[in-house]
Amino acid sequence: MIGLGTRTLFVKEVRRFLRVPGQTLLSPLVTTTLYFLVFGYSLGPRLREVDGLPYARYIVPGLVVLGVVTNAYLNSASSLFVMKLQGTIVDLLISPLSYGEILGAFIAAAVTRGMIVGGITWLVAGVFTSFHVAHPIAALALLVLAAVGFAGLGFMTAVWAGSFEQVNFFPTFVITPLTFLGGVFYSASMLPPTLRAFTLANPVYYLVDALRWTMLGASGAGPLPGLLVTAGLAVATLAGAYAMLSSGWKLRG
Amino acid sequence: MPEPVVSLRGVTKRYGRFTALDAVDLDVPAGEIFALLGPNGAGKTTLIGIVAGIVRASQGRAAVLGRDVVADYRFTRRAVGLVPQEINFDPFFTVEETLRIQAGYFGVRLPEARLAEILRALDLEEKRHANTRALSGGMKRRLLIGKALVHEPRVLFLDEPTAGVDVQLRQSLWAYVRVLRERGTTIVLTTHYLEEAEELADRVAVIDHGRILLVEQKDRLMERYAGKTLRVSLGAPLAELPPSLAALGARLEEGGLVVAVSAPPGTSFGPALAALAAAGLPVRDVETQRMRLEDVFVSLLERGAGRAA
Repeated sequence: MIGLGTRTLFVKEVRRFLRVPGQTLLSPLVTTTLYFLVFGYSLGPRLREVDGLPYARYIVPGLVVLGVVTNAYLNSASSLFVMKLQGTIVDLLISPLSYGEILGAFIAAAVTRGMIVGGITWLVAGVFTSFHVAHPIAALALLVLAAVGFAGLGFMTAVWAGSFEQVNFFPTFVITPLTFLGGVFYSASMLPPTLRAFTLANPVYYLVDALRWTMLGASGAGPLPGLLVTAGLAVATLAGAYAMLSSGWKLRG
Repeated sequence: MPEPVVSLRGVTKRYGRFTALDAVDLDVPAGEIFALLGPNGAGKTTLIGIVAGIVRASQGRAAVLGRDVVADYRFTRRAVGLVPQEINFDPFFTVEETLRIQAGYFGVRLPEARLAEILRALDLEEKRHANTRALSGGMKRRLLIGKALVHEPRVLFLDEPTAGVDVQLRQSLWAYVRVLRERGTTIVLTTHYLEEAEELADRVAVIDHGRILLVEQKDRLMERYAGKTLRVSLGAPLAELPPSLAALGARLEEGGLVVAVSAPPGTSFGPALAALAAAGLPVRDVETQRMRLEDVFVSLLERGAGRAA
């Protein structure tokens, strides 16, 4: 049974990002549309098929992953960091909510935003390509797991960060490069051996690849490696976020 | 003393080498307004933070209603309301939403009647649907008080509640604090305005350098420490005090127009008045002044510093 306190925090967090839809929902919609216009619609017909799939369809899972993980990260990171900055974190610290309840509500809200943005991305992609999903439940489960992992990372960053610059460090220098270099726009089989080795060492590659299997029914490595990597990330960041929150580091005096 | 609502035993808080609280023992009796007085950095906010759950003690035990604030935090936090010193607000929400969210954190669905009562008491009725960003500084501070009250705490901590608040609002907040006390809420107050403590407090604790210097009922404290000063205005300035008055410690002030004599608590002005009459000075007016809490406070801190030196 989820208590009223946890539900209140979750609903508050969801309402917070819904209050600024231009920033949280519309912006990814515009970005995704531009990706499809440029890469899928304009260039796609001129590119040959990748791993037996039309290029415009091939890039859909990677863009969905990008939308989900970036927004899940940003929601927990920016919301908690702003609470620290505004001093409203005190409201939570003096409440009877447990660490697990606080973390659970933050992660659930971040996953909600990530999944909404992922859904918008998929809908836009569907307009340009197809709405068919090969394994919808597996796709949904994988994306939720990925969102949990990156929401946990965002939570940890917010506890640690002392400035907005530090909050933006991970999306700018880690998440976006790893996603773009994680086979969103190309197949690892297209790369020369050295670059292929780099790609295969990138955990996001396996997430994108697994999602490609769940959505399109075909992929390079199949769903299992991606599922394991994503589950591992989710467990690690949740454990890390819980440990940081319960230690009181940078939150309690 | 009534049963303590808040109880600290040997509570110490260290930040590296700095000791913010040093083995503090303190009991806050139920149903009183308890003022915690001390200069900046004395440890007041740290002490409150430990009880409310914002700060972790390095050593010792803090309890609310007999329950440990760490082991039994769900119980103790429901019993405590905190108005922090720093104003905070979430600009995404209105006044009403802010209060409902805060109540929700405590597992309370805020009934309409209770919400209306808080808004009325804090003069925020007209701002119920206003975004918190649009509130003035005084309104934001009142909203903080409202947030601390939504779950009807047994003990309310007010950390500098009227800092930066105008005189009129301060009076209305004091009135509301008294109402809360009458309803049975225990109030723990820290303040820079000693007149606030003098006006409101039933009991006073003086804290400095992380140590409690004394805990005393305010009236008894004033009786014990607050001496009086006799000020005699003269019709014509006096160049030099008669030896009989000088021997009693009298002094000339305001260019020789006032003779002032201070008497420690428990002593009378009889000898000074007799000496004045015997000297045949041209007396125009006589008044006595009691030391204020501020004077007592300064004197206690000086004694504390003297002991520490």
